[in-house]
Amino acid sequence: MPVTSVSPQTWWTIFRISLEERLVYRADFALGTLMRFIPIVTQVLLWQAIFEALKGDDVAGYQYNDIVAYYLLVLVGRAFSSMPNLSEGIAQQIRDGQIKKFLIQPIDLIEFLLITRVAHKVVYYGIAIGPFALVFFLCRGFFSGWPDAITLAGYATSLVLAFLLGFFLEAFIGLIGFWFLEVSSLLFMYMLINYFLSGHMFPLAMLPEPWASIAQAIPLQYLAYFPTQVFLGKIQGEMLAWGLTIQLAWVICFAILCRIAMHYGVRRYSAFGG
Amino acid sequence: MSESPPSYTRVLAVLARNSFVRDMNFRGNFLIEVITAMFWMTMMVSFYLLIFQFANEIGEDTGWTKYRFFVFLATTMIINGLMQAFVLPNAAEFSELIRLGNLDFALVKPIDTQFFISFQRVNWSGYANIGCGIALMIYSLIHLSHTPSWLEMSLFAIYIACGLGILYSLVICLASTSVWMGRNQSLYNFWFYITTFSRYPMEIYRGPLGEPLRLIFTFMIPIMIAINVPAQIMAKGLEGAEWELAVFGLFATMACLAISRWIFSLAISAYRSASS
Amino acid sequence: MAIIEINGLSKTYSVYHKREGIAASIRGLFHRQYRSVHAVRQIDLQVNEGEFVAFLGPNGAGKTTTLKLLSGVIHPTEGTASVMGYVPWQRQIGYRRRFSLVMGQKNQLWWDLPAQESFRLHQQIYRIERPVFEKTLDELVELLNLQGLLGQPVRELSLGERMKMELVASLLHSPKVLFLDEPTIGLDVVAQHNVQGFLRHYQQQRNITIMLTSHYMKDVVALCRRVVIITGGRIMYDGSLSGIIDQFGGHKLLTLQFSDEAPVDLKNFGELVEVQSPRAKLRVDRSSVTTVLGQILSKYNLVDVSVEEPPLEEVIAEVFASVNGTHEAELNKQQVLSNASD
Repeated sequence: MPVTSVSPQTWWTIFRISLEERLVYRADFALGTLMRFIPIVTQVLLWQAIFEALKGDDVAGYQYNDIVAYYLLVLVGRAFSSMPNLSEGIAQQIRDGQIKKFLIQPIDLIEFLLITRVAHKVVYYGIAIGPFALVFFLCRGFFSGWPDAITLAGYATSLVLAFLLGFFLEAFIGLIGFWFLEVSSLLFMYMLINYFLSGHMFPLAMLPEPWASIAQAIPLQYLAYFPTQVFLGKIQGEMLAWGLTIQLAWVICFAILCRIAMHYGVRRYSAFGG
Repeated sequence: MSESPPSYTRVLAVLARNSFVRDMNFRGNFLIEVITAMFWMTMMVSFYLLIFQFANEIGEDTGWTKYRFFVFLATTMIINGLMQAFVLPNAAEFSELIRLGNLDFALVKPIDTQFFISFQRVNWSGYANIGCGIALMIYSLIHLSHTPSWLEMSLFAIYIACGLGILYSLVICLASTSVWMGRNQSLYNFWFYITTFSRYPMEIYRGPLGEPLRLIFTFMIPIMIAINVPAQIMAKGLEGAEWELAVFGLFATMACLAISRWIFSLAISAYRSASS
Repeated sequence: MAIIEINGLSKTYSVYHKREGIAASIRGLFHRQYRSVHAVRQIDLQVNEGEFVAFLGPNGAGKTTTLKLLSGVIHPTEGTASVMGYVPWQRQIGYRRRFSLVMGQKNQLWWDLPAQESFRLHQQIYRIERPVFEKTLDELVELLNLQGLLGQPVRELSLGERMKMELVASLLHSPKVLFLDEPTIGLDVVAQHNVQGFLRHYQQQRNITIMLTSHYMKDVVALCRRVVIITGGRIMYDGSLSGIIDQFGGHKLLTLQFSDEAPVDLKNFGELVEVQSPRAKLRVDRSSVTTVLGQILSKYNLVDVSVEEPPLEEVIAEVFASVNGTHEAELNKQQVLSNASD
């Protein structure tokens, strides 16, 4: 019995097609990769201005250099955890009945999507690694060196977990399409909240109570903030192990939720005669 | 049938009415837009409230203290709302028409093509952003104990219109490139990213990175004029606003509109319909 | 003076040639490969006022491209054209006011709104005075049987009704020239019939000039006396319908009814299409009909004979099928066929 429903050959085909898809609209692709760095520039300049007229010594334990490093690292975290079009894609397939294909054929939808996502990410960042590396190299002055091996290992793990968490979270939202047709508004809300509470907009350490506790309790911080903190050395030793465990727990939680949603959703779907 | 050119105001009225009727069909959407606009405003305001915990003003000696900065933010929302309502839907439609080769019907009509394309649709839900912006503006002005004079308000309105003109020109140029560059998904990303530069006070653009950006986006692609000038007028009053910049803004608007019209006509010339 | 004059009109497109494979896609990032598509090659045409001309041709023949050139939507690569004295691709306002373009399966009406809202927009754009507008609208609605449908959103209408609405929109400003691109495509038989009837009536009444493209025979037969066959971007034929058979119909169909069993050696006389004893159908080359008939009559006893033209569709299909050949090749084919029967 194979572990997954998709063979390596299929994997390669998906990979290849993803790559071609990306390359056909070449102007698009070249532009798109570089544009991701633009918001960083304005953020950096904004913070530069903020630090000029600071009331105290730092901003929640961050110096100017730390902030710049922070935003760059958040980009890396988001590179792993952002899932463009995943929810909409699933909701769309539910809406126009294409999901039936997966109910009949021996391919598991979630597995299939996961593999295509991995393929997309590998393809995209395989090529985008050039500009990324360049930017990081140019900005190396903002970083205070590489963290130690253990922290790096923890960082890498947290990135992989961030990818999985992002995937299962957004897949779950898409699967809600079995019950609500209009997933896009829900998704938009999620995106807004995500922007604010995943650390994308600002370091979550800046939050006062009670918001700080709320941010701690929800899984969004593990999408970008947590890995970034790990790299910056703000989370060490026992805290690191504990953090990774919670991150893993959230991944499992949403993976299970996806399974449940799929199971009940399919039942509901067939009841309506699709 | 009359030989005279169409009455552009009447055509505009019909187009606006049609858009309204269409949008009212999607009432649910409208409500959602209002909620998301308010949400976005809340988030932005919260973010800056957080920042003002740690600093009194943004940038040393720039004058952008808390409530003045909120005036700036409000101006951002008003302009964004206006773009959302009047400009972006038409640019998107234009891009699609080019892509699908459906521009033909617009081309055979005895009306200026750019006018027709630019005012086809009005997305009434953009008004939500405008409303939020005005609300924030009023709130901030109250806290500044500053009641704007008639002159200030008129100048504000004029410069909002200029800002719209500049941003509209940029969008139309970008949309026109669909003719040469094919599918334009990253066009809207590009638009979003470029306008991030316009959303902050010019004063923060300092240093080896900031200065060149400020020069480029003030004098080459003058998007910084769009929000900065009217915001300065409202936040800092007529004394605090920079006059040279304002005058330049007027010329920049006219230049931008002229250039975009030129590029639009180039695009139309290059347009090839998709074959049947 | 012809209302439409076309001389040496040509249009060539450059199409980006996409190749399969990763390496080619990467190469595509740096170096694009183009190939030329000659959509229209050197066409000459003259149409007088009040004519109803059909442009017939297979897909990709250049029919739609020609109409688009005449509408001013695209520029030609070479050649000249003049419609009502205007050069179409100069897109003068005076010209745009006087013609109309309708494309089958492409809607210009606003999808979510009732058709009358789109008509109102038309009225403003074309500056039609209110009384004239209302009178024209009423007439058209009457002719096309669209009463009561004006207030319904266009997306709720059937395909046939939508097409009729498009026709109304295109005729509100009483154009003198009408370009129709596959107007009945996708419509059911009844709707097709209605549209054809309307066009015939309207054209006769108003004496407007209509150019219609189609690959449906029925449109052409119902509406036009003059047919222009275009294949591979070139005009292959310009004349009447019956003339097509004369020029291109290489065969005739003999239906023979024998007094006894149909003979087995019929295939020596021509191509055996069908045998249902005592009847047989034989396809015989045009020029040898009399000889063959004479031979059969002398050899067998016939009860009944009929000689038919091949169905028009068949002839035209054959013409379309010779697309890859040039005009000369087509003439060669005719040459070969007539030689073979000597």
